Amino acid sequence: MANLNTQHKQNNTYDAIVIGSGMSGGWAAKELTEKGLKTLVLERGREVQHMKDYPTTNKYPWEFEHRGQIPEDVQKENPIVSRCYAFREDAQHFFVKDTEHPYVQEKPFDWIRGYQTGGKSLLWARHVQRWSDYDFEGPARDGFAVDWPIRYKDLEPWYAHVEKFVGVSGNRDGLPHLPDGEFLPPMELSAVEEYFKSFVSKNYQGRDVIIARCAHITGNEEYYAKQGRTLCQHRVLCQRGCPFGGYFSSNSATLPWAMKTGNLTLQHHAVVHSIIYDEAKGKATGVKVIDANTKEETEYYAEVIFLNASALNTNLVLLNSTSNRFPEGLGNDNGLLGKYIAFHNYRAGVSGEYEGLMEYTTEGRRPTSAYIPRFRNLFKQETDFLRGYAAGFSGSRGIERDLSDVGERLEKGMISPKYGTWRVGSHMMGETIPKEESRVSLDPKKTDEWGIPLLKVDVGYDDNDEKMVKDYLEQVTEMFEAAGFTNIRTRDDHRAPGLDIHEMGGVRMGKDPKTSLLNKWNQLHAVSNVYVTDGACMTSTSTQNPSITYMAMAARAVDHAVKEKGK
Amino acid sequence: MDRRNALKQLATITGGLVLIPSCDFSAEEALKAYENLGITERDQQTLTKIVQVIIPGKHLKGAEELSMQDFVLVMANDCLPEKERKTFVKGLKGIETYTKDQFGKTFGELNPTDGAEVFRSIMAKSTSTDKSTEVAQNFLGTTKRFALQGYMTSEYFLTEISPYQLVPGGFKGSVPLKETEIVKTNG
Repeated sequence: MANLNTQHKQNNTYDAIVIGSGMSGGWAAKELTEKGLKTLVLERGREVQHMKDYPTTNKYPWEFEHRGQIPEDVQKENPIVSRCYAFREDAQHFFVKDTEHPYVQEKPFDWIRGYQTGGKSLLWARHVQRWSDYDFEGPARDGFAVDWPIRYKDLEPWYAHVEKFVGVSGNRDGLPHLPDGEFLPPMELSAVEEYFKSFVSKNYQGRDVIIARCAHITGNEEYYAKQGRTLCQHRVLCQRGCPFGGYFSSNSATLPWAMKTGNLTLQHHAVVHSIIYDEAKGKATGVKVIDANTKEETEYYAEVIFLNASALNTNLVLLNSTSNRFPEGLGNDNGLLGKYIAFHNYRAGVSGEYEGLMEYTTEGRRPTSAYIPRFRNLFKQETDFLRGYAAGFSGSRGIERDLSDVGERLEKGMISPKYGTWRVGSHMMGETIPKEESRVSLDPKKTDEWGIPLLKVDVGYDDNDEKMVKDYLEQVTEMFEAAGFTNIRTRDDHRAPGLDIHEMGGVRMGKDPKTSLLNKWNQLHAVSNVYVTDGACMTSTSTQNPSITYMAMAARAVDHAVKEKGK
Repeated sequence: MDRRNALKQLATITGGLVLIPSCDFSAEEALKAYENLGITERDQQTLTKIVQVIIPGKHLKGAEELSMQDFVLVMANDCLPEKERKTFVKGLKGIETYTKDQFGKTFGELNPTDGAEVFRSIMAKSTSTDKSTEVAQNFLGTTKRFALQGYMTSEYFLTEISPYQLVPGGFKGSVPLKETEIVKTNG
């Protein structure tokens, strides 16, 4: 028996375990395996292999039974995920249905999840703007959350490292608050975007319109061929999975790369129950896993554990990892685990038309947009709310068909498209302030089908968010009006937090173990062989789409873990 | 009902236009819709007439040739909320009586040009006129919306009329327009 146990333990022992195969877990896996560590990646969902498991990727519009629409009964059963813009007939199989994985909403919160190889990296919007010190110094300057334990210079080489492998298309804009990176050629702005860019730069000091930096391959083909990826073909069907590997996902890039090292074991249907803590050793020794299908329990062991389960699930795993030493969750000596959750405020948008530049149109499709980096309260505090917002911006030529009649006249309308005005639109991406009362916790009674407590989410908007929505609408409306745009319309859809799919925090980084959970290397202060490098580690949110920062942090943390191991 | 027999029956209903391959999801889906909505042969003929009034096939292929009557029913069955679905079925079942009452002829009896006139007349009526007009307008409006949606995303339309490119390969932000060129829909 003792022999069997030893055998079992040996078979289930790795150098490193990574919990989650999504955006940041894929990076942890790539870096760990490249550095020679035998690594087990645990994925709770099913396997989705690059290309092979993209069933809709080459379908034409007419091959979808409801032409993309999600049937009414599915929407009724799954109201939360149905509110996500990408939950359509072509990508619905990559989303978690409400009914499959319930959670408790103390306040309305749309938790959008992807449980499969690659997680949400298959589905993301692919914007990859770097942070700068105007972001990292935010909490210290403005007196909220805690000071970040790192600055831009700590992350800069890791941004570069990650960008090169990911493939980032972008323009070198020379902005101090949105640093340039390792860019492949930028995509073009449309004629109206070019016009707005030059209008804004002439008329609004400190405001810029740029082409967004996006995770699409637009050059250096030989380099990406080694990953089995090639140039973005501008299909704009990314959410189906890309057969060209034109955009970055764990499935197309980091995981196959890690697999090639021979050091990766990728296990699916592996629901992590908790991290095992050994009081005598003073560190984590492994992970308790429940098979999603058989419900069988297995333990896996490793010297170092990377927790990349996605922001809220990472909180859940730690809260559920209780022991004598940590009765309130692993590493939770100060009671702050699960607290200071924040997100991005995506509630508002402005649209309009432009009647100029009528002699131009666009050709082809573009999988990204223009971007207005944060300008509010950037270099100093200047409004009655804290922090600011970035904004998406896009403009394309309207196509009009007169479809008002029936019969022969309708047919004429269908075959006579005409160019209309340019249609322009913007949406806000606002920073929100992490607060102690914005928290997730374990439901004391309800559990899921694997016996794991349901997560209770208690996160909402505050007065700062309301003021910021108002300011965004005013500022963008004013800029649109000044630029000569017409028919300007504003919207505040009052969407619930979570639908931005940028939930962050709960296991924040900080300098002081009394007020934070993670140190500057993303290690739990109290359990140094557990690293958290997904959205849960975020001390503040700033305005940039966060994935590239998670990826850079994951690569940096692996480097640290391996150096520590060598000591 | 045995699936094969059911498909055979559907083939009869639709005048034999639907072939019976081993797994044609569109036929099977249409059949489910017919069954679930309680659509009779007569209802089906009426709907076919009406989609043909909407897109009669003067400059393009007619709606019937693209089986838009089936697409409309699948969408009504699968994508309308329950209340609207019931109104749609009520509208379909009552439209010929309504048309006969108001215009002396059913859609079935009208040629495409006159059918289009009747369609316009119904849609132009004030909604406050009476409940039956509201139901008829709702039905015709929904039918037109789905027929157009299905037609303009059909293989025929997106290959022969307004070609859709699965792989555009690039993007140009400023392309000068030329008088003679066809409109770039960038689909």
